[in-house]
Amino acid sequence: MTLPPLAYHALVGFVVLNVVIGMVTYVTLLERKFAARMQSRIGPYYVGPHGLLQPIADAIKLMIKEDVVPNTADRWVYNLAPIVFLVPCVLIFATLPFAPGLGVADLNIGVLFFLAVSSLEIVGLFMGGWGSNNKYALLSAMRAVNQIISYDLPFVFAAFVPVLLAGSLQMSAIVAAQQGVWLGVVPKWFVFYPVIGQLAFVAFLVATLAAENRVPFDILEAESELVAGFRVEYSGMKFALIQLGEYAHMIGTSFLGALLFLGGWLGPGAELPLVGALWFLLKAMLVFLVVTWVRWSFVRIRVDQILAISWKLLLPASIVLLLATAFWVAARGGHAV
Amino acid sequence: MPSNSAGFWTETRQLVRAVGRAMGVTLRNLMRRPITVRYPTVKRVYPDRFRGILALTYDRETGEENCIGCRLCEYICPPQVIKVEMLKAEKRNYAKTFTLELYSCEFCELCVQVCPTDAIIMLKSFDLATADRRELLLDKDRLHALGLQFEPSWATGNRLRDMQAPPKAPKAAAAHAAPAAPGEASDGKT
Amino acid sequence: MPETARSTLEIGYGGSERLTMNMGPQHPSAHGVFRAILTLEGETVVGVDAVIGYLHRCHEKLGETLTYVQYPSIASKTDYVAAMTVELAYVSAVELVGKIDVPTRAQWLRVLVAELQRIASHLLWLGTWCMDMGGALGGGATVFLYCIREREAVLDLFESLTGARLLYGFHQPGGTRYDLPADWAPQCRQTLSLIEQRIGEYEAMLEDNAFFLARTQGVGVISRELAQDVGVSGPLLRGSGVNHDLRRAAPYSSYETFDFRIPVETAGDCYARYRVRMAEFRESIKIARQALDGLPEGPISSRPGVKSVGQVRVPKGEGYARVEGARGEVGCYLVADGGPKPYRLKWRGASFSNLAVLPHILPGVKVADVVAIMGSVDPVFGEVDR
Repeated sequence: MTLPPLAYHALVGFVVLNVVIGMVTYVTLLERKFAARMQSRIGPYYVGPHGLLQPIADAIKLMIKEDVVPNTADRWVYNLAPIVFLVPCVLIFATLPFAPGLGVADLNIGVLFFLAVSSLEIVGLFMGGWGSNNKYALLSAMRAVNQIISYDLPFVFAAFVPVLLAGSLQMSAIVAAQQGVWLGVVPKWFVFYPVIGQLAFVAFLVATLAAENRVPFDILEAESELVAGFRVEYSGMKFALIQLGEYAHMIGTSFLGALLFLGGWLGPGAELPLVGALWFLLKAMLVFLVVTWVRWSFVRIRVDQILAISWKLLLPASIVLLLATAFWVAARGGHAV
Repeated sequence: MPSNSAGFWTETRQLVRAVGRAMGVTLRNLMRRPITVRYPTVKRVYPDRFRGILALTYDRETGEENCIGCRLCEYICPPQVIKVEMLKAEKRNYAKTFTLELYSCEFCELCVQVCPTDAIIMLKSFDLATADRRELLLDKDRLHALGLQFEPSWATGNRLRDMQAPPKAPKAAAAHAAPAAPGEASDGKT
Repeated sequence: MPETARSTLEIGYGGSERLTMNMGPQHPSAHGVFRAILTLEGETVVGVDAVIGYLHRCHEKLGETLTYVQYPSIASKTDYVAAMTVELAYVSAVELVGKIDVPTRAQWLRVLVAELQRIASHLLWLGTWCMDMGGALGGGATVFLYCIREREAVLDLFESLTGARLLYGFHQPGGTRYDLPADWAPQCRQTLSLIEQRIGEYEAMLEDNAFFLARTQGVGVISRELAQDVGVSGPLLRGSGVNHDLRRAAPYSSYETFDFRIPVETAGDCYARYRVRMAEFRESIKIARQALDGLPEGPISSRPGVKSVGQVRVPKGEGYARVEGARGEVGCYLVADGGPKPYRLKWRGASFSNLAVLPHILPGVKVADVVAIMGSVDPVFGEVDR
């Protein structure tokens, strides 16, 4: 049955949105179990077999909690902030192709759209900090804006290295450029591209950590100083939306990383769409677990040190890397693979 | 943070090595078994001297109550949670009432230490959590019931005092340096 | 008054307006109930007003109403993280004023548990400090849980010895209350080896780490003169270059028979204090092993077992006994009047004097550094407020 294109895309969008939200809640469980094992403990265990129903319990708890709005908060800004925060974080999934032909919209400027929309979360974040009328929240929101803006540039430059290597902003084209194997054994994923690929991947991971406010760059939340950062005045469903948005953004950039560097849906049996999507999911989870592993291994650094790393180290390095990639691609006549 | 290019490569190499080492430690711990003991389905083994909740005991041979109502435990308890009333009888005294406020008890074991008849002891359990504080105001019957319900710890008054007392007769060379016999060292009574 | 200052909400980020912010008393990294009223200019602290007393429980009055036999169990509640050393201070004061002998075995046992307690206290310090710097959910919590895991091993040892895990009541005037159980010594050696190996792991995880070094080096420098003027003690003093440790300077409880080094660092910043405490781990393990190897036979107390509440009477006199606690010099000044209770008991808490250095070193640092500095000062508010 062929639906009119608008209805078809709406349906696909609806399905993807629900899948994303479901995945986000279970990713929180994955992170908690993984972190627990790294700390010699078990993690959620009692709700459901081995804690598998824990995210459901958390979701129900957050939904039935009382919605406390501070008296002196700026009501419109305060109430809109979670939504303004959530929408870009979920919208980035619209451009991700989960398998050839399986995705909401495979734009020919896919990567650019992804990066541009994902940085819109800052607006929602700052609205949350401002509207809460709380010194701690405002302090943390200002730090966050500082940090995310500083790290978006290296993030973009690192993400553009695969774009240059593939020669296209379209995500499916980038994945197609990673097909094949070198020397019969090593897949042609960009992470295995000599020198440039690894450096770009490392830069991408570091910039992801910072753009996600993950330790060691989580001065934004800094639980031991500002308790919860800009989220401190939110409770109940609004808090759930903010959490949802953060983890959705986290997974979205993991998917992007898997797509740009780890070959997206490529893998044995990738001709079948669902198997390709499965490979994509596994690779994204691998990127996510690496980020989580880093998160649980380091102490936090101060905000001025974070900004110093960004402007003095990461940004020049990623610019140099991008230029070097550009020269390399041009020297090879316009295509790298 | 490296801000001069002179040490840039060394600092970068150090950074990479440090990052690798830190992540290696967490990875190694990922492979270790968790040390969580899944209480309450699994209980860990408590040591012999565990200071758990308190109880009153019966004499093993005769089945009589051990407590003679001497109130030494009441006097020594630092937060004063024990209250005893003595009941005089022909052969020996008893405790008419014996209340112990477990919610304020410090579990310091001093009452066990002073008891001359090993009547009050501590048990190898602390499982008395309740939602009603009045259940933790233990009276004499409750204390005796607890004594029969859980496993007792090693410590009783006489055992503790024997462990602490200096030896009366020289048993080893080191004992020659021990101070004078107990009768001269201690001072008065209350 | 800070109260009225706190009601203004003018915020100047990087500007010249000042923001008065309350850190505590309920705060995840205040290490207890401690209120620091910080005056900030942007992210820099320009003034600090420390408010203590939230944990005051009238210990010194309790010392007057409880007898010499009862109080050691209560004394552990002042420095509850390092209870053995603080009980030792009290009974040392009683023995000093009452001229009570302590048999050698008891002295060696006291040294053994004091060093084990120092290890446990430093493990807690390392865990909470890293947690403060890394956040409750970040990398810091990992180190925290590892340190707690090791501390559980030491607490299990104490549980086999006394029956309690945190507040022991191990010391009595004249000696100790418990002797070693039969299979305790091999278990203790095993635990010491485990901790030695794990300390190496933590040093590897933290020491080369550029993030950790950036957060701790050059932060919270206490100069040697400042340290000696204000009267700090313990690792704070030794991290600023002063070679003063009571176990060497004024040995008590047969410490003079043990062979150990006093770690001293000169930099005076958080990293120096960290290095001092990490070195103290290894020295404590060395001392504990020596104590286990050479433990003499004999009685564990020069007085009979506690039989009544007024058993120990101390003739008139006064004296001050001090021990090297995990945080510094813990002292107990006792005035006795011949009865079973002291006339006056005064505690010198190590953390109380250590905290006095904060108004000197906090102005000029960033807010994030306040947390790192508080952690490296390692206060325990039971000692501060008593």
